[in-house]
Amino acid sequence: MLQKVLTKSNKSDLYLDLIELASGLLLVGFLWAHMLFVSTILISQEMFNTLSEFLDTYYLSYVGIPFIIVVALFHFVIAGRRIPTRIQEQRIVWQHAKMLHHFDTWTWVFQTITGMAILMLAAIHVWLVLTGWPINAMNSADRMAAFWWFYLVLLFIGEYHAGFGIYRQFVKWGMFPRKPIGYVAKLITVIIVVLGLAAMVAFVRLGGGA
Amino acid sequence: MADRQLTFEIFRYNPLKPEVAPYMQTYKLAETTGMTIFVALNMIREEQDPSLMFDFVCRAAICGSCAMVINGRPRLACKTLTNTLPAKIKLFPLPVFKLVGDLSVDTGTWFRYLSEKTESWVHTSKVPDPKIQEERMDNAVANQIYEAERCIECGCCIAGCATANIRDEFLGAAGINRVARFMVDPRDERSFGEYFEIVGSEEGAFGCMGLMACDDNCPMELPLQMQLAYVRRKMAAYGLGYKEKKRIKPA
Ligand code: HEM
Ligand code: SF4
Ligand code: SF4
Ligand code: FES
Repeated sequence: MLQKVLTKSNKSDLYLDLIELASGLLLVGFLWAHMLFVSTILISQEMFNTLSEFLDTYYLSYVGIPFIIVVALFHFVIAGRRIPTRIQEQRIVWQHAKMLHHFDTWTWVFQTITGMAILMLAAIHVWLVLTGWPINAMNSADRMAAFWWFYLVLLFIGEYHAGFGIYRQFVKWGMFPRKPIGYVAKLITVIIVVLGLAAMVAFVRLGGGA
Repeated sequence: MADRQLTFEIFRYNPLKPEVAPYMQTYKLAETTGMTIFVALNMIREEQDPSLMFDFVCRAAICGSCAMVINGRPRLACKTLTNTLPAKIKLFPLPVFKLVGDLSVDTGTWFRYLSEKTESWVHTSKVPDPKIQEERMDNAVANQIYEAERCIECGCCIAGCATANIRDEFLGAAGINRVARFMVDPRDERSFGEYFEIVGSEEGAFGCMGLMACDDNCPMELPLQMQLAYVRRKMAAYGLGYKEKKRIKPA
């Protein structure tokens, strides 16, 4: 077929897959680091403020935030290419998942759904933070007290997507059997979710009490 | 366990009679000891409905022709004991493959394409000399090849794979595993560049989304997760310019 012969590029599928791998790893690394930073509120307000001021004065925030947004956009387009676009394909995948009763197939279906949800929720989150700049404990506490339900949803969806995402990357590329990868990914996810919930409680108390 | 009354719900459709829309037909059968789906289907065909179409040859998990969707999972009918299933059993033909009729599909055409596409034969420039002893092979390598060779081309990994269900040209776990088999074979003289031509795209290694339905449903329990990741890494390394000697050849 003429059109296929003329557009055949040996390496493009490889490059896309590598960008998918790199963007996924970067985003998960970012998200987990982000949650650890947020959890410094559990130690003290001062700790949280010192960290955010540090990131601010050394311009780490100004480099990091645009960088992560760009990576997220790349990820959205390139990981998103796996989402079937034709309605019939979507129906096939849905029917297939229902028929198969297969855990990893279902988690992938939700990977795509949570991905689309993150696209919207994270955009709102970033917008809220940037328009309320700078980041400090009281600012965050006010946001959290007002929008705790929003952050609750984002926490679970984000951690789901990151946890199963990194699991799948190791499955696709790694040398380890799936079970131990799954345990480790789930363990880290549970720890991060618990930290996140605790930090939320701390913020809501701070915001509500003030 | 015995004395169970089994209810089979079986997909019926004959592409040669398109005027009859696909439908589910119910059959009842008394369970016997050691009954497999294969045995049950034969009893139904002999005693209740001679028009029922399904495939089998070896009835011993060797030929791979009896694969079908049993209660949602692609499995071999001859290897699936009814006493491992609930009393209600739903049977569908494998998706992806061309439907011959009822539970029978044509996996042969698909796997022939796979064999041709992956050029499933040892590419060698050596002319075998029947008078001298064969070259010896390292035991570990021989085992590695054998692990991949155990594939019986049943198609369960293809039918279970959501990617293969929507991407016609995707070679699936069976195809990628086939290439892995030749990659480790010291007699095959193909370069990694030549393997890259076959599986270095979304038709092969990079099309796999890691859903692992292949790994979980292969009746021969091939290490498909490991094979897929192995080929993915090798192809990425080659694509990034990492030059690899195929391996040291003894003697
Ligand atoms: C911008 C919104 C996002 C969308 C639309 C999205 C979409 C997707 C889709 C469709 C997949 C499945 C790809 C596949 O199976 O090959 C995926 C995988 C993944 N996502 Fe996202 N995602 C988004 C944001 C994120 C974020 C913020 C993170 C970080 C926590 C993340 C981490 C991952 C990882 C690690 C994978 C696995 C990638 C792979 O298997 O190679 N994603 N995403
Ligand atoms: S891992 Fe998933 S996508 Fe890859 S071949 Fe197996 S079933 Fe298909
Ligand atoms: S790899 Fe396993 S499931 Fe796939 S065709 Fe071969 S034996 Fe069947
Ligand atoms: S009849 Fe040969 S594998 Fe089942």
